[in-house]
Amino acid sequence: MSIALRDKLMLMVAVLLAAVYLFPLYWMYVTALKTGSAMFASPPSFWPSDPQWSIYGSVWESRNVGRYLWNSFVIACGAVSLIVILGTGCAYVLARYRNAWVDVGLFLILMLQVLPASLMITPIFVGFSQLGLLDYPRVAVILAIAAKSMPFFVVLVRAAFMSVPMELEEAALVDGNSRFGAFFHIVLPLARNGILVSAILIFMQAFGEFVYSKSMIQAIEYQPASVGLNSFMGPNTNEWNNIMAYAAMYVTPILAIFVLLQRRIVSGLTSGALK
Amino acid sequence: MRRLLLSIRDGRGFDIGLVSVPLIFLFAMAGLPLIYNIVMSFQEVDMFSLGTFARPFVGFKNYITLFSQPETWPILGNTAIFVVASIAGQFTIGFALALFFWTGFPGSSWLRGLFLVSWVMPGLVVGAIWNWILSGDFGVLNFLLKESGLVAANIFWRSDPNFSLWAVVIANIWLGISFNMILLSVGLSAIPQDLYEAAELDGANVVQRFYTITLPMMRSSIGALVALGLIFTLQQFDLFAAITAGGPNNSSNVAQYWAWDLSFRQYDFAQGATISVIMIVFVMFASVVYVRSTRHEVRG
Repeated sequence: MSIALRDKLMLMVAVLLAAVYLFPLYWMYVTALKTGSAMFASPPSFWPSDPQWSIYGSVWESRNVGRYLWNSFVIACGAVSLIVILGTGCAYVLARYRNAWVDVGLFLILMLQVLPASLMITPIFVGFSQLGLLDYPRVAVILAIAAKSMPFFVVLVRAAFMSVPMELEEAALVDGNSRFGAFFHIVLPLARNGILVSAILIFMQAFGEFVYSKSMIQAIEYQPASVGLNSFMGPNTNEWNNIMAYAAMYVTPILAIFVLLQRRIVSGLTSGALK
Repeated sequence: MRRLLLSIRDGRGFDIGLVSVPLIFLFAMAGLPLIYNIVMSFQEVDMFSLGTFARPFVGFKNYITLFSQPETWPILGNTAIFVVASIAGQFTIGFALALFFWTGFPGSSWLRGLFLVSWVMPGLVVGAIWNWILSGDFGVLNFLLKESGLVAANIFWRSDPNFSLWAVVIANIWLGISFNMILLSVGLSAIPQDLYEAAELDGANVVQRFYTITLPMMRSSIGALVALGLIFTLQQFDLFAAITAGGPNNSSNVAQYWAWDLSFRQYDFAQGATISVIMIVFVMFASVVYVRSTRHEVRG
């Protein structure tokens, strides 16, 4: 068997595997375009014969998808800004020094990364309600998400800082820069890409966050899209085409970012904590 | 005062300032709740005492009540089944895919990247899609299974107590394949290629090469991955909320969902905190294994 033929065969198998793997996504988009009766047809059709494009407009209106997505966006932006502002400096210091204290700090940070949100929400909820933070539900969720995701960010960005040669910073110091100046003018610009990719990863996670928002945001006008989707899916729902249309509107922006930045995201992920 | 300012701008104070603010934040937002959780598990908490710190201490009463409930052991058993089945499925499929893409052909790295899609999707969306795929009467999975002759009648994945836990396991395996595959790919690409060439010259076949080179070289990656899989499956909450909500009759309930359900559905915060403490001890144990197996990486 020649190399070229082997490559073609492997590529075909790979495409087939990817198609099987991505079938749930395809099924979401197809179901969203079906009419109420086509959805429950047996055997189900795998291609929408009569696509209902108007479903997106009607779901957008009736479920107030715009407001939900806006809340998700606000929460994700808030959490990412907080994490980037606080976490970048922390990652920098942890990358610059190697001693026992840094090991202890990293160990504690890694331990915090693993605490399941659904278990931490009980004390956070009770504590926040005593502090009165629950009167500002989106702020409360932003704080909780920031605490949950910051360890992951710190570990990823630390790897980015480690790849910046320390000699460059030392040279800047010799040339009369302050530590402050060297950090902002030399180190930060060089690690920019790593920080950006990590921030995007954190953003996508925060955009889909559910446990904290579900537990802490009671007022419907502040709820993010994940909570909206959850309340759309009652126990005995049969509006699957509408639900899938909602899900498609929710997930398509994230998929678009992912496809555009796929290569960078994959390399960012594999260079950091998860190695 | 001037010296302090100078040190913050240009000295050790700069580093200490950068690192201490985030650590204080993390301590306040993650460390304190952890401690508070333990305190609450020894207290009597109800709707009236929720707003005050001075609650009566009851010793181990919460723990005793918890283990005297009939559903406790089945739910812990479900948690174990969920974790073991999910990790086994994710790891096997992920490893097979990683090995397949590792052979290297045009387009392999791009196609492999597509598999990471599930990693960035909101858990609720994944749950909603699988909820619909697994639907009893009209689900496409039942249709495919019946057409291929694997089952005779529709399986009611979500409402049959024998299958409800497996419905979530299937969705979770789909979700977890991505990170298993990508991490194993990283591990595979780190194996020096000349080892295989030498073994091939010595006449080792594919299976022998896999068992004598690939597996031993991957030992630390696999250890880290299984520990990480344990951590991630114990964090899985969204799929339960979106597919079965722990039902029917707790047949698909697991500890991390139950803890939330007790606190926020039944307003029994003390019991919720008690389960949380027990599970967090488990997770901490897994993470010590994980940190130990990646320690040389972390030190860089």
